Amino acid sequence: MLTVEGLSVRAEDLELVREVSFGIGPGERVGLIGESGSGKSLTALALMGLLPDGVTASGTARLGDRDLVGVPERRLKDLRGRTVSMVFQEPMTALNPLMRVGAQVAEVMTLHGVAKGRARERAAELLGRVRLPDPERIARSYPHQLSGGQRQRVMLAIALANEPDLLICDEPTTALDVTVQKQMLELIAEVAPALLFITHDLAVVASLCERVLVMYGGRVVESGPLREVFKHPRHRYTEGLLAASRLPPRGTRLATIPGAVPAAGRFPGGCVFRDRCAHATETCETAPDLTGPEEPTGPEEPTGPAELTGPEPRGDGHAFACWHPRG
Amino acid sequence: MPSPAGTPEADPVRAPAGGPAREPLIEARDLTRVYRRPRTSLTRPGEAVHALKGVSLTVHRGERFGIVGESGSGKSTLLRLLCALDRPTSGSVTFAGREVAGLPERSLRFLRRSLQIVFQDPMSSLDPRMRVRDLVAEPLVALGEPVGGRVAELLDAVGLPASAADRYPHQFSGGQRQRIAIARALAPRPEVLVADEPVSALDVSVRGQILNLLADLADELGLTLVFVSHDLAVVRHLCESVAVVHDGLIVETGPVDDVWEAPGHPYTRALLAAVPTLEGLL
Repeated sequence: MLTVEGLSVRAEDLELVREVSFGIGPGERVGLIGESGSGKSLTALALMGLLPDGVTASGTARLGDRDLVGVPERRLKDLRGRTVSMVFQEPMTALNPLMRVGAQVAEVMTLHGVAKGRARERAAELLGRVRLPDPERIARSYPHQLSGGQRQRVMLAIALANEPDLLICDEPTTALDVTVQKQMLELIAEVAPALLFITHDLAVVASLCERVLVMYGGRVVESGPLREVFKHPRHRYTEGLLAASRLPPRGTRLATIPGAVPAAGRFPGGCVFRDRCAHATETCETAPDLTGPEEPTGPEEPTGPAELTGPEPRGDGHAFACWHPRG
Repeated sequence: MPSPAGTPEADPVRAPAGGPAREPLIEARDLTRVYRRPRTSLTRPGEAVHALKGVSLTVHRGERFGIVGESGSGKSTLLRLLCALDRPTSGSVTFAGREVAGLPERSLRFLRRSLQIVFQDPMSSLDPRMRVRDLVAEPLVALGEPVGGRVAELLDAVGLPASAADRYPHQFSGGQRQRIAIARALAPRPEVLVADEPVSALDVSVRGQILNLLADLADELGLTLVFVSHDLAVVRHLCESVAVVHDGLIVETGPVDDVWEAPGHPYTRALLAAVPTLEGLL
């Protein structure tokens, strides 16, 4: 349904996201994980056509028969919020503090041609669908009168208002308490038509998604079915992330990845992870392609990294870009 | 154990295995704190918010004590009272036997020297216009102590190069900034290090580095650690004892392994069930 091929994001001479390719099938829930600065959010913003000024995307992204990248703003306005919509991390900055919640939900529908009265009715319906108690009262409230979890539910109602084909969530539960996060994740799993879920929290992805893409340094370094990738990670970065996510009982040292994520443009050439990797050798000065588990083929592979999912986006391929994979 | 109150004699669970019972260092008794909402009517006072409703706890010397709770539970209010950054409405806080609740700042110098705090967000707790050298030395200057070679020593202890001293906080990553905040807190050689969600803003690969550093420093320097977090898994990794705060009360307290294995209070059980884990799903 969503097919992304060779998506790159550039700011002047900096390549922030490089040749990202993946697909999402109808009803499928895909996680996009990585640390801050790995290019996750830029990938999502590129799909939404919301990149900041001076930052441009190239490559192709098709949702059904519609292009999402390289399309004029006039066309994007029509797609955004209707075909693909997004829930952001911080609901307090994403909601308008001076507007009642019901009106904000209705607005996204009137913008896409729904009559005002009908939009108002639907708004209350949607607030009920995201399981807000007493939706009529919530619709008349202002954002500051709601809790963080309630605001995030309002954001979800707005995102679902026009029944989009794809929902993108960018760290929607990071600011929430764990008990509220759990309810929110269950709700997202229930209502999302097809989902791209961005997070740095591996456990959250594990509880929600079927497939996972691991990003580092603006590239997808590993991808595949969630269980497969988390049980048998091949890329050394994925291995490190998983090890660092486990919190053993007291007295055991925590596994860590040495160093920190470099600033944009400071990643090494070749394999982007090699300056933090214990297994790096001279070979790693050449960028490895994203390849399947059979035989890691060299960079001479003519089709390039775009072959991750190929023409069949639901393929079960476990792919990774590493010269010295684990296992 | 419904209440954390009690002397170490009456509470043998807290004694480390094979060692003598440790002496209490920080003791809170029946702490309450009532805030007033801003007035919304001319004739009536603002609504009262009972942030803490009678909390007692004991932190022993050398102990690693975790405080767990969600936003609005009262854990930050409790922390502020333990550090004498706020005054309780009623109740007492003693540090090494000396009352600290309600004292004026000039009488709290002993506490400021003995107890230091690391906050959640090192970007807002470090002055962006001060060099790291001055940031780390500031607590010593404030206490009128010689700085000498202490800055280099501290930077080394937290794993930063000596060259870091000449740079500004914005030139460091989040994890490195938290190391600077820890070095600064350790400057006056405190007995107690209070850490308020010190790893919540960090990436997972860096979180481990900071937790390992805190554990190492606590061992090497014999620090008493008070660690506040919303994440019981992080507390289990670092601490020996835990108090679970909910709705202004400590609902459960005890050795962290016991609370983790067999949570007694329904709220603790709900909290544990809500934490997403990798182990359970794979």
